[in-house]
Amino acid sequence: MSNIAYAAEGTTETESADTGVLASLGINGTLFTAQLINFTIIAGILWFLILKPLTKKLAERQKMIDDSIANSKKVQENLAKSEQHFQQRVDEAKVEANKVVERATQEAEKMGATMKTKAKQEIELLVDQAKRNFSIERDEMRAAVKTEAAEMITVALQKILAEKMTEKKDKELIAEMIKKME
Amino acid sequence: MSTLHIPPLAPEVIFHVGRFPVTNTMVNVWLAMGIFLGMGIILRRSLSLRPGKLQNFFEYILESVLGYFDQVTGNRRQTIRFLPISGSIFFFILLSNWLGLLPGVGSITFNHELLLRSANTDLNLTVAMALTSVIVSHLFGFFTVGVFTHLNKFIQLGTIAKSFRQGPIAIFSAVIEFGVGIIEIAGEFAKVLSLSLRLFGNIFAGEVLLTVMASLFSFLLPTPFMLLELLVGLIQAAVFAILSLVYMTVMSSAPHGAEEH
Repeated sequence: MSNIAYAAEGTTETESADTGVLASLGINGTLFTAQLINFTIIAGILWFLILKPLTKKLAERQKMIDDSIANSKKVQENLAKSEQHFQQRVDEAKVEANKVVERATQEAEKMGATMKTKAKQEIELLVDQAKRNFSIERDEMRAAVKTEAAEMITVALQKILAEKMTEKKDKELIAEMIKKME
Repeated sequence: MSTLHIPPLAPEVIFHVGRFPVTNTMVNVWLAMGIFLGMGIILRRSLSLRPGKLQNFFEYILESVLGYFDQVTGNRRQTIRFLPISGSIFFFILLSNWLGLLPGVGSITFNHELLLRSANTDLNLTVAMALTSVIVSHLFGFFTVGVFTHLNKFIQLGTIAKSFRQGPIAIFSAVIEFGVGIIEIAGEFAKVLSLSLRLFGNIFAGEVLLTVMASLFSFLLPTPFMLLELLVGLIQAAVFAILSLVYMTVMSSAPHGAEEH
């Protein structure tokens, strides 16, 4: 045990460490005050430089997360509302479109019928006109044929008569004709 | 076998500044102070909502500690309210305990005395912290439940005065409660004693253990004990901080019966 050195025996004890339990434990007024001040400074450094800024940042981040979650919920609700609104509008548009198509079909049918009637009338008018034209042309042709036939007959008669009639007979006939005409 | 230098109970004075003695435990406290100051300055500069590696590390530790503290206080608001004391106590004790395990502590000498010694082997420091913790717990009590309500937990004169209107049984129970209050006052002193002596005893014993092991065989033998001391340092820091937190929580809650009215 000779090599065991108790440091307390050889050290300069603090000023008040003479006797008593507190002194034997190293409790000393000056050192206690100094350590109290040291601890206060450390607590201040820890709180103001490390713990407070960190807790503040944590709280800020937590608030940001909470706000984001609340916002995302709001956005989702708005989206659902918008989708519902959109669907409602689409349904309304579909109904409206069906109505428009129905109305268009009806109008088209009506217009078709009208046009059909009009076309019929026009066709009838054209047919009538064609008939009339045809009849005029027929009459004209008939008249022309008649004239032509008369001329041909006349020519033919002239030829026939030229061979069988004498000049004398001819003059008599002309004279008779002139007489009749008078 | 090397010379066994068993550390004394009192911290060793290594030099004087005027008449003021500077002890080796105080040097360790200043070392811890410097480390915290450096860390604080670096952290404050790099603090942002999108944390970097350093901030992430500190936030992880703080979140873990806050989680344990929440279990004691019951809610995060209370935890943050008590954090300046409980958090400071926890981190300071932890760092100074672990600083005491660094090479050089207990071996470098100055003026024929050890230059560095674990801060919590100084009873002055542990008493200072315990006293601060208990006094602050009472201050929280004063501000939270009111001065008279808080004082009535210890000196139950109000209860005695009320009991006179309620009959002999009430008077009897008030007298008993008055006695309990006196015991509570003694308990407050016991809190300071138990907090300070527990921390001092554990860390001092660890230091003595490491010294003995190192002097028996310097290589590898102290290693498992150093690992043990790492754990002891953490446990003691947690115990001191959580007990302080318990005292603050209890003191800032309304006394029994107050909420019934």
